Amino acid sequence: MLYELKNLKKTYDQRTVLDLKTLKLEKNKVLGLLGPNGAGKTTLLEIMAFLTKPDAGDLWFEKERVNFTNGKLIDLRRKVVLIQQQPILFTTTVFKNVEYPLKIRKTPRAERKKIVKELLELVGMGMFEHASAHKLSGGETHRVAIAQALACLPEVILMDEPTASVDVENQINIERIIKEINQKKSISVIFTTHNMIQASRLADETVFLFEGKVAQSIYENIFSGQIEVDSNGDKYCVLHSGLKLRVSSQKTGSIRISIDPSIVKLNQKESGHSMHNRFKGTLIQLTDEQSRVRALVDIVGTPLSVLIPKDVFKGLHLDLGEKVWVNCPKESIDIF
Amino acid sequence: MDFLIDSFLSALLLIWSVDPELLVIVQVSLKMSAISTLVAAVVGIPAGFLIAFKPFYGKRLVITVLNTLLAMPTVVIGLFVYAFISRRGIFGAFDLLYTQKAIIIGQVILIIPIVITFTITAINRIDDRYRKTALTLGANVLQTVVVIIREARFGIVASIIVAFGRVIAEVGISMMLGGNAKGFTRTMTTAMALEYDKGEFVLSVALGIVLLMVSFGMNIFFNYFQGKARV
Repeated sequence: MLYELKNLKKTYDQRTVLDLKTLKLEKNKVLGLLGPNGAGKTTLLEIMAFLTKPDAGDLWFEKERVNFTNGKLIDLRRKVVLIQQQPILFTTTVFKNVEYPLKIRKTPRAERKKIVKELLELVGMGMFEHASAHKLSGGETHRVAIAQALACLPEVILMDEPTASVDVENQINIERIIKEINQKKSISVIFTTHNMIQASRLADETVFLFEGKVAQSIYENIFSGQIEVDSNGDKYCVLHSGLKLRVSSQKTGSIRISIDPSIVKLNQKESGHSMHNRFKGTLIQLTDEQSRVRALVDIVGTPLSVLIPKDVFKGLHLDLGEKVWVNCPKESIDIF
Repeated sequence: MDFLIDSFLSALLLIWSVDPELLVIVQVSLKMSAISTLVAAVVGIPAGFLIAFKPFYGKRLVITVLNTLLAMPTVVIGLFVYAFISRRGIFGAFDLLYTQKAIIIGQVILIIPIVITFTITAINRIDDRYRKTALTLGANVLQTVVVIIREARFGIVASIIVAFGRVIAEVGISMMLGGNAKGFTRTMTTAMALEYDKGEFVLSVALGIVLLMVSFGMNIFFNYFQGKARV
């Protein structure tokens, strides 16, 4: 086991950002931490990188309990490296940035030069060796940061939203590098994302975080809304886009609603299911996700994800731009 | 106007001929300013770093006091140090008054708040991601401090430029604690004041030119250093 966490808690300004009962992460895998903004993904990564001390709970790394107070974290930090969401490079050349971890580990100069050159080639930044690090684009900075992290010869690389602020070309490059370093160098990679598609493409396993906790269901299709009661006493959740979903909840006022995409049903005809929570929308995207197909349906401006099993999908013969019917059963809706 | 031009030309001639009196005054001035700045940097940069980085009770008050000290007149510092090092003062036995050491003590007190406050500002402007990056790449505490200071070097170097400029141009402390002794504690500014009192403007103007040249040279040097470092 790579990491084991128990009753881990972190609070900032009286706001609990992380409250994990238990979590185990395995070695030599690519693990995806999924969740919306504010789910506690970055805080968790910083704790796992031994940069942030949790307020309560225990963390084990390679079966050894981590003591955040004994000043021996440097040995652990030399095994795990974190690449921040927007990595920052030192105000010097690309070469010297990648050389830094080797220099502080007292690697001989000739060996340093060789390793840096190899790593820069691996991330496709060989020709930028003498360039000023601060003049690189976001994607290039990210790639140099990966080379810098690899220079640490880590056992684990933690990546905070590695492709959040880069263009498509760099996204492809970074995803290729993630796969390569895991497969060729046997480095465990844990990355955060709120992109389901990227997670399913890259990760061997995924963990869903929501409001600091490990979520049991796939927390997607999360929207803010308002609970309203009609003249018959039926309760509805009205989303900001105007979409009205019938709900059965004791909550009132402003709420957040999640609609489980694996339970939502998609049809080409208006039939079969209950009259409630049935909406007409336009199919705007289809993505292949191993055993399922993800369909993105635009319902009066609300993008709703629907996960369709492949065998069901084959029978549907869906076309992009087609008008479809989406049915959200009661059990697909969670209000919090 | 003719008088000013004549003084200026005579001053240039004095500089060109490397007048021995002028040379000694410039040397004394540069030596004391350099030592004061060095001492203030050695003490002030780590102090500024600690104040910026470590949370502690009364931090805001300390910063406010330091900011207030920036406006301290040199004569007040001269008076304050005089009270300690004069024969009747608690350090009177060390015979410091009217020595170069006395000037250096006064000048260090004058510029330490400058170095500390500039360092605090420079460190506070450094993105916390630098600290996290250094730590995650395996740096120890000292190596992390070096990374942060390195990233804040432009602001810190600015503090040294300002501090040096302040001491080389000050007159109050040098006059009150140094006594303007020829060849010993006579600095460029005290010599200029003396020559002015005597109505001898040539040496005054020559020293003024040298003072400006030194400041200009210092700025060119540090600008070059900053430009080169900003790769």
